[in-house]
Amino acid sequence: MARLVIMGGGVSGHTAATFAKKWLGKDHEVVVVTPNANWNWIPSNIWVGVGQMTKEEVVFPLAPVYKKAGIDFKQALAVSIHPDGKADSDTPYITIKYTEEGKAGETEEVTYDYLINATGPKLNFDATPGLGNGEGQMGSHTVSVCTADHAVHANEELHKIFDKAKAGEKQKILVGTGHGMCTCQGAAFEYIFNIEHEAKAAGVRDMIDIKWISNESFMGDFGMGGLHMKVGGFVVSSKLFAESLFAERNVPWLIGAHVSKVEEGKAHYELLDGTTGVEEFDFAMLIPPFSGVGLKAIAKDGSDVTSDMFLPNGFMKVDAKYDAGAYENWKASDWPRTYQNPDHDNIFAAGIAFAPPHLISKPASSVNGTPINPTPPRTGMPSGIIGKAVAHSICDLIQNGKSAKLHDASMAEMGAACVASAGKGLTTGTAAAMTVYPVVPDYETYPGTGRDTNYTFGEVGLAGHWIKHILHHLFVYKAKLKPGWTLIPE
Amino acid sequence: MEHEKNFQKNDQFELTMIPGGFAKKMRTCLIFQAFRFAVINLKMLVVVSKSH
Repeated sequence: MARLVIMGGGVSGHTAATFAKKWLGKDHEVVVVTPNANWNWIPSNIWVGVGQMTKEEVVFPLAPVYKKAGIDFKQALAVSIHPDGKADSDTPYITIKYTEEGKAGETEEVTYDYLINATGPKLNFDATPGLGNGEGQMGSHTVSVCTADHAVHANEELHKIFDKAKAGEKQKILVGTGHGMCTCQGAAFEYIFNIEHEAKAAGVRDMIDIKWISNESFMGDFGMGGLHMKVGGFVVSSKLFAESLFAERNVPWLIGAHVSKVEEGKAHYELLDGTTGVEEFDFAMLIPPFSGVGLKAIAKDGSDVTSDMFLPNGFMKVDAKYDAGAYENWKASDWPRTYQNPDHDNIFAAGIAFAPPHLISKPASSVNGTPINPTPPRTGMPSGIIGKAVAHSICDLIQNGKSAKLHDASMAEMGAACVASAGKGLTTGTAAAMTVYPVVPDYETYPGTGRDTNYTFGEVGLAGHWIKHILHHLFVYKAKLKPGWTLIPE
Repeated sequence: MEHEKNFQKNDQFELTMIPGGFAKKMRTCLIFQAFRFAVINLKMLVVVSKSH
């Protein structure tokens, strides 16, 4: 009997675990180690953040789902990986610390035959002084929509702003990225337009100035270097449509910005040209930069080999080309295909936890040397596809032996369907529905745009909103392993 | 024209494009959006199937 241990119960880890258990059946063990008791459909957190959904609509407890599936669930934080065992044993294991009520703080060693690192990102608020509280958590000057609890708090603060606006006090709202190396511009985009939509509905839009701040060098970059789509016989950059939406909704923008410090009511920033400034705000949602969660890797002799297994940003090395060099040398083939760790063939990383070879967007730094460029997004669809492919590879290795062929899921050979909400409402909502193929541009296969413009498109409308709302229900249904769940694609 | 007022608000807005009244209306026109719902879903299904 083999044991597959999956660290992380988010989109990628949960997908991997549930498919692995389905394919392995009772013959082998699947263990999930994740610190949260609940699964969270993160794309809907922005709606919690404006009060259009409750926390209960975007989370559900994992324990009953895993029990039904026959997956061993340990509500715990993974702390370290021991890929070669320890002095008195060659069996690889991880160490975990329980977060489950009643066992909080207890530690345990969990052996494995195969390991998936699907731990997602650490929300690195402290990377920007004042954005964090100095202890690894969000600070008090801004809000966040990265977790369901953060989003609940964000909505409470937002409605205080609306109340002040209704009382005749002009308010300033700032939304965007809180560091020069952030990703997740899409979530901030959704939040800013949902705020704008709700402010209109509340009759206070004229009393609120809303502004965007981000590390993108052009509007519509979204961490993917933007995209090109066919519209009206032209092939058009996403820059044009992104700027259009902001102009239409009266939301000015400040881009190429690294937020260097946050204080009460103030965000200090540096621009690509080296100039600095301060944006004042009454309410701000600034996405934090991501890093790996801080797993350690320990050799058999007890020495710390974390830097062998992880990049300095904390993400795990996989089969990517990490020495690709300058932007001019980047190729689609730099990106990983199997997500297998190069030194340990029984360890894989999926979703946000794997280390990308480099950015997707063109790198940029200020004249002072400050990196100001979006880092690569790993949205729901690629994360789910990668999790499933990794699970498939491991199941084949377990069932067919070490010579089994691994499954590919390169982001340079897969597309993504994304829906970015611009306001919720059954007949009044809109969203930008987009597909991009492939996610990582491949300029050798698709010279010019890097993407197949026959399968890359975007449009704003009510249909997009209906799609996002339906996908919310579909993916929660799928994650709960309800009948027919495997029919819903990642 | 109401939708054209924003062009004057700042330099950024002046140099981009803003949808006119008809384009904006079509965004929430139920019949048109029902048609677009079908088209977008088909396009997404094609991309999803190419990716799996």
